[in-house]
Amino acid sequence: MLAYDPSTNPLNNNEWSFPLLEIIHIASFAVAIGTIAIVDLRLLGIGMRRQTSAQLLKDTTPWTLIGLAIVLMSGPMIFSSDPNMYLGNPGFRFKMGALLLAILYNYTIHSKVARSNPSPVVGAFVGGVSLALWISVVFGGLFIAFT
Amino acid sequence: MSLLPLFHWLQETDFATALRESALVYPTVLASHLTGMALFGGLIFITDLRILGLAMRGTSVSDVITQFRPWKRAGLVLVAGCGIMLAWAKAEFYYHNPYFWAKLSLLTLVGVHALVFRRSVYNNPAALDRAPVMPTNAIVAACLSLTLWIGILSMGRMIGYYEVKP
Repeated sequence: MLAYDPSTNPLNNNEWSFPLLEIIHIASFAVAIGTIAIVDLRLLGIGMRRQTSAQLLKDTTPWTLIGLAIVLMSGPMIFSSDPNMYLGNPGFRFKMGALLLAILYNYTIHSKVARSNPSPVVGAFVGGVSLALWISVVFGGLFIAFT
Repeated sequence: MSLLPLFHWLQETDFATALRESALVYPTVLASHLTGMALFGGLIFITDLRILGLAMRGTSVSDVITQFRPWKRAGLVLVAGCGIMLAWAKAEFYYHNPYFWAKLSLLTLVGVHALVFRRSVYNNPAALDRAPVMPTNAIVAACLSLTLWIGILSMGRMIGYYEVKP
């Protein structure tokens, strides 16, 4: 299918680089999703109430970006270890769809609404959708190993 | 006295067998373990980075520590609850897995870390706001916390790579 032989990939030729990449991937998505969740808890009105959502968004933006950048570098490297397997994997396909939606949502509706310090109803809806999207991404990723 | 008979018994319980053999429940518990890490493990990293002055500088240290606290506790319940179920399901395999014991040892050190630093750092955040420079013990606490949790994450991931020799 692809003119690429994964057996030549260094990831498949030593015991440590693949798990190391996974650990980096997990730590960085914890930072990315954790910082997004800080804003979401505020939007939902259930946490971080001494700050506004606009303040929290501004304060967490750099680390969300750092986390996402590392996630988006380590992820494709993991993918390169066995592209054909991933492309045919339902968990992976679901994850990629959810990830695309989650990133688009995060940098459009989510940031726009968080910046506007929305009413409780709007905030709860936007924060809830954000959490649901990111949880879907994590579930999709884990289910790659089980589908 | 070996703990092996206990771990063997745990793995042979109906609950563990059903969980281990379920094609849906086992991965769901694992995914919840991971989701809990994503949502609340991130809060641990950000707390440490805030103490180090590297994150969320627009929010005071005390606001970060006190407002994260209930969510980190809830997250710990979720992550540890799922983790205990995962270990229970494969207790006898885990008994033979050195990464499992390494992870437990590091978790014990997290408990020691809390005992050592709770009073002076985490339960006294207003003093950190007032300090002109971050006190050394808070810096040490944050660095140790980052190191321990990255170690725990790493050992946890490595558990899955160890093959038990028959």
